[in-house]
Amino acid sequence: MEWFIANWTFVAGLAATHLSVSVVPIVVGAFLAVVFARVTPTRWVNPARGVLGAIYAIPSLALFVTLPALIGTDFTGPTNVVIALTIYVIASMYFSAHDAFHQVPRPTVTNAESMGMSSRQIFFHVELPMAVPGLIAGLRVAAASTISIASIGAVVGVRNLGYLFIDGFQRKIPEEIITGVLAIFVIAVTLDAGLWLVGRLMTRWRFVTVDHA
Amino acid sequence: MKLTRIAAVAASIGLILGVAGCAPSAVPSSEPIVIGSQAYYSNEIIAEAYALVLEDAGFTVERKFSLGQRDVYVPAIVAGEIDLFPEYTGNLLQFFVPTATETAAEDVYAALATSLPEGLTALAMSPASDQDSYNVTQEFASANGVESIADLASLADITLGGAPELAERPYGPTGLLAMYGVTVSFEATGDTTVESLVAGIVDMANVYSADPRIQQLGLVTLSDPLGLFLASNVVPIASEAVNADARALIDAVSAAMSAADLVALNVRSVDEKLSAAVIAREWLVSEGLLD
Amino acid sequence: MLDLTELGAWFSDPENWAGRYGLWNLVAEHLTLTFVAIVVAAIVAVPLGVAIGHLGRGEFFVVGLGSASRAIPTMGLLFALVLVMGVQFRELSVVLALSAIALPPLVAGAYSGVTTIPPWIRDSATAQGMTAWQLVRHVELPLAAASIIGGFRIAYIQVVSTVVLAPLVGLGGVGFGIIQGLALRNFSQVTASSIVIIVITVAGDRLIGLSQKFLSDRLGKPKPLETS
Repeated sequence: MEWFIANWTFVAGLAATHLSVSVVPIVVGAFLAVVFARVTPTRWVNPARGVLGAIYAIPSLALFVTLPALIGTDFTGPTNVVIALTIYVIASMYFSAHDAFHQVPRPTVTNAESMGMSSRQIFFHVELPMAVPGLIAGLRVAAASTISIASIGAVVGVRNLGYLFIDGFQRKIPEEIITGVLAIFVIAVTLDAGLWLVGRLMTRWRFVTVDHA
Repeated sequence: MKLTRIAAVAASIGLILGVAGCAPSAVPSSEPIVIGSQAYYSNEIIAEAYALVLEDAGFTVERKFSLGQRDVYVPAIVAGEIDLFPEYTGNLLQFFVPTATETAAEDVYAALATSLPEGLTALAMSPASDQDSYNVTQEFASANGVESIADLASLADITLGGAPELAERPYGPTGLLAMYGVTVSFEATGDTTVESLVAGIVDMANVYSADPRIQQLGLVTLSDPLGLFLASNVVPIASEAVNADARALIDAVSAAMSAADLVALNVRSVDEKLSAAVIAREWLVSEGLLD
Repeated sequence: MLDLTELGAWFSDPENWAGRYGLWNLVAEHLTLTFVAIVVAAIVAVPLGVAIGHLGRGEFFVVGLGSASRAIPTMGLLFALVLVMGVQFRELSVVLALSAIALPPLVAGAYSGVTTIPPWIRDSATAQGMTAWQLVRHVELPLAAASIIGGFRIAYIQVVSTVVLAPLVGLGGVGFGIIQGLALRNFSQVTASSIVIIVITVAGDRLIGLSQKFLSDRLGKPKPLETS
């Protein structure tokens, strides 16, 4: 606690970078996962699951340092970390996003069609709102993991909260490491709670008429 | 002598101009000087000292600290994203010229000056150094009567601990055998090297010479009569964006920092767990470089 | 970019396979650490998960453990334990940290395996006069087996990934090639090591997946009670 009080501005700065390195992958990854999940033809779903499942299993440090060989980025620095985290978010959210769209009842879509809604309108006004609970559930898992995994980026020279682990270990200050663990935990849990709230607010209609989708 | 006087005059003019905040056409002081540092607490203290004296003189400074390994920040310096960086002569020379054979401080500095990329300058090096060194415990030293690396040649089964990369460094196991006829088995102890030495997991450890724990734990640093290690003095690397006034200020910091000072600064970081800014400021004040 | 010739040269150099920090040794160390940590965690986690599922209370604990584990950075956990326990107990502290990482998915797998058993199966087993222990041993465990293995699968992925960081605290494992390679700017070694890690992870995951499928095919349907 003493260490944290003396160094809180330093920790706050790292937390800000940590968030900025994590937010892009979460937003971009979630968007791409939703798009991929929506457009994948049914017969490709299972192969896609297999491939993404394998990608999701790749240890983060290994993925960070494999990217330069594949796409020619620098070995160290934030680019690989941001790309790798985006890939994880896609791989992690694809499953839940696909299920979320799949669970939208067919009759509801048919109803909308018969009301003369265009496919664009159906997507934005029927399918997407109904898929929100599933999408948010998947996003919550992906977001919390991203915040936590981003810390490993410190090993390849990204200055974020993970730096507290490396610096604390070098200087033998357990409080510094524990501060890092707690800071990441608090950010991840806050983000999780925030997303839960957003999901709740976006789906208020659900609680008026029905209990479960 | 004349040069330093001119530099001092220039510095004071710069100081006045800087404080007054005028003459934007003469000095491009609107552009902040970007100062970088490694992800190493000791390096960050030195970078912070540069930042504080420059700010005190009215320069605008931007801190980009803990940038990790040389692979990350050297390209950034070359690309002009960072203007000033505290470095170490030997380790940086090795980065640019992996086959470098110079080991004495002056030779290393001279070799570094010629191998830096276009647009970068090594400012005057500091007497403070932070270089690789081999250390044993007091007990081991007295039990085996060793003071120098050369004394190890008669001993068998020595385990050497250090960072993973030491296995391949020129001063690692291969260099020990070639130069001193010492055979060691290598154990990669990473950031737990000193603890591993104290715990008896390894017999000899590669520790940076400015590491406070050498003093605190009473470790014996073996002398290196044949020059296995490159000298590695603290040296500021500056881009052209760092003007003569700023350079004079940095030179004063380098000159004031003795080898013992650097160890003392590191002790404060590890023992008192203070931030780099606090440690640097108090040291600058004690040296009369800051009010 | 990926230089296949350099990569091939790295893999075909016998120097890189032999010795204390050769690939064979590092792979063995990586898998041993993973295996030991998962076994240690499983001894606690599987009975715990089955018990929670069997008793039907403590769901909040399993869910909480799951979300908490996602939010806790494994690297910090590893570093903190090694620093606090000291280098004399380096292996022990690494195994403990890894076990803590393996615990939540193992508990969740065992728990959900038991709770997803339809109530009528349990009711009919009880109606046949089975004791609680017989119910667990002959009905719940076999039916939950596939889900328990599923927990092992996730635990394996997470532990194998975390062992990659072991060289940072002075142990080996294939991550050594990455950490050393980055410092030496030996990028073929970095790429080669990460390929080996990916192969170990994905192959292990698939292998456990196969055994999961095999088990769910064999044990997925309730089988007659053995009387021996």
